[in-house]
Amino acid sequence: MMWIRLIFGGLGRRSVEAIAAFIILAATSATVATSLMVVEGARNALAQAERRDRPDIIEVKSRFNRALFETPRSGNLPPLTIPVYQPLIDPGDLEAAAGDNQVIKRQSLFRNVVSGDSFLNIYIFGIDPDLEPEVSSFSVVHGRFLRKQDREVAVLDQASAHALGVDVGGTFPVRKADGEDLHLTVIGILDRINLRAAPPRSAEAPSLMPESTFVSSGAFVNLQTSEDIFGRPTLTDALVVARSASDVPDVVAGIQQAFRLDPGVFVTERFNQFQRKIRDFALTLALFSAISIATALVVGSFAANLLHDIYVGRRRQYATLMALGFAPAMGMAPALVFGLVLGIAATAIGTLAATALVPRSFAMPSLMADLGPTEPVLDGLVASSIMAIAIAAVLVGVLSTGLRLLRRPIAMDLSEESS
Amino acid sequence: MNQPLVSMRSVCKKYSRERATIDALRDVSLEVGEGEFVRLSGPSGSGKTTLLNLIAGLDRPDQGEIVVSGVDITRLSVRRASKYRAKQVGMIFQSYNLIPQLTALENVLLPMIALGRANPSRARELLDLVGLSDRSDHNPAQLSGGEQQRVAVARALANDPALVLADEPTGNLDDQSAQMVMGLLTEAVRQRGRTLLLVTHERDTAQASDKSLELRGGLLR
Repeated sequence: MMWIRLIFGGLGRRSVEAIAAFIILAATSATVATSLMVVEGARNALAQAERRDRPDIIEVKSRFNRALFETPRSGNLPPLTIPVYQPLIDPGDLEAAAGDNQVIKRQSLFRNVVSGDSFLNIYIFGIDPDLEPEVSSFSVVHGRFLRKQDREVAVLDQASAHALGVDVGGTFPVRKADGEDLHLTVIGILDRINLRAAPPRSAEAPSLMPESTFVSSGAFVNLQTSEDIFGRPTLTDALVVARSASDVPDVVAGIQQAFRLDPGVFVTERFNQFQRKIRDFALTLALFSAISIATALVVGSFAANLLHDIYVGRRRQYATLMALGFAPAMGMAPALVFGLVLGIAATAIGTLAATALVPRSFAMPSLMADLGPTEPVLDGLVASSIMAIAIAAVLVGVLSTGLRLLRRPIAMDLSEESS
Repeated sequence: MNQPLVSMRSVCKKYSRERATIDALRDVSLEVGEGEFVRLSGPSGSGKTTLLNLIAGLDRPDQGEIVVSGVDITRLSVRRASKYRAKQVGMIFQSYNLIPQLTALENVLLPMIALGRANPSRARELLDLVGLSDRSDHNPAQLSGGEQQRVAVARALANDPALVLADEPTGNLDDQSAQMVMGLLTEAVRQRGRTLLLVTHERDTAQASDKSLELRGGLLR
């Protein structure tokens, strides 16, 4: 009790200033917390959009094969091997053009698989099982996903497996380019597929998402297996992952230069679009950040000035403690504890108020709609930033008194009339 | 004279105020023995308080040395000077300098806390010694001037210091209270065999003191 009274008691008329400093710090904390929460929420939305859009990924695709529509749908015609895209991309050329950026190769095929007396359309994707999951997601519900060393095995989506009447351990025939059948053993069933830069869905085929305009189903095999089926190593499409998003324009230029003589190879990137998309976003963030900083500086210095006045009023007490033999740190401790408790309590109340009052989710008018809503977040960064502002205000407030007590003779403060 | 507890040699102290330089102390040399009661008088502005502040380590001289118990206190760091005051010096100020939000008992406890030896029963004994055992829970605002100064006397004796420095302790008190405080102070210091350096205008104390010094214009006579 004695320490509590020593630290907080005897403020006299300075208690009005202490209350004012508390309210100002609480209001500052609430304003700054709101702004920072919005900024943090917006940054999260931006990061989410970046994860979703992946502006660091460059899509390299061959011309889309319109011959697909000539695929026989019935009768005893032999099944055709028709690519979703034409196989125009030489993997060696692409890797050379991509340099040390990661190349995720694909062979996207469309096959008529004989199923009883009819044909069943199945998308077949030759993928690199180590690299593809870095950009696409596959949810295995039975069995396992592909491994690098696997041969003549496939992982099927539930819809295709059901249509083919196979399960894990079962097989289904796929006609190779040389006319021979290759029997693929099913090692895993997928209940969800999110294939990045999936080809357009252009023919009736079993699908996990029937309404989707993009392929959401198929049989996934290793690239070596798809080369066996396809009879060639050239790729139908590929993704190049740049080391950083800002490298994308240079990497795109390099790939376009390498394939300038192949009019059927198209290079697309999302980086520039993404940059345009986030420009408004960045401006909005800058505005909120500027509000936070300006509020913190203006109001924080006002609060610091009030605290300074309180400390000046109590300077003689601190000097008395030091005159009685308190070590400088101990003599100043009541001043620091007073300021810190006041600052931290005000910050906590201000932050609670901000948390209660700020909308849980809203769309910023300046943002493009597809960046999604901003959800203000109170995380460690926001909390520590607000706390740092309060502590800075307290330290600025106590600075003059502290320096005076430590540097000037204590006798001068003892003889000073308390204000 | 007993073994000197305080030894000042050629101490000078100047203050600058509004471009003017004031010589507060001019080449002051002084020795105060252990257990001695020294009375220091002089007109206002003669440097009495400055002298006490220098001996307490609350200020530093511009020149000269001040040795207390064999240690030159002018060379002590701020931290060591605090420790020196806590162990060896009991201060009594004219304006009491009690902490207003603490009780009389807590004010007496402060020097003990500074040394890390808070002893409430000793603090109560000291308050009893100055006749304030029944006012130990009262705040300074609830005490008269004389009572506040008696609390300050008890606080000065809290760590049983070798040296008690009293700066016009009765300056703000009426005659009756002044007499009571002075009596208590001198008796308590004498009983304990401690050294008292008393700044006062009261002529009555001259007879009780072992030595009477006078400061005029910063010079000791």
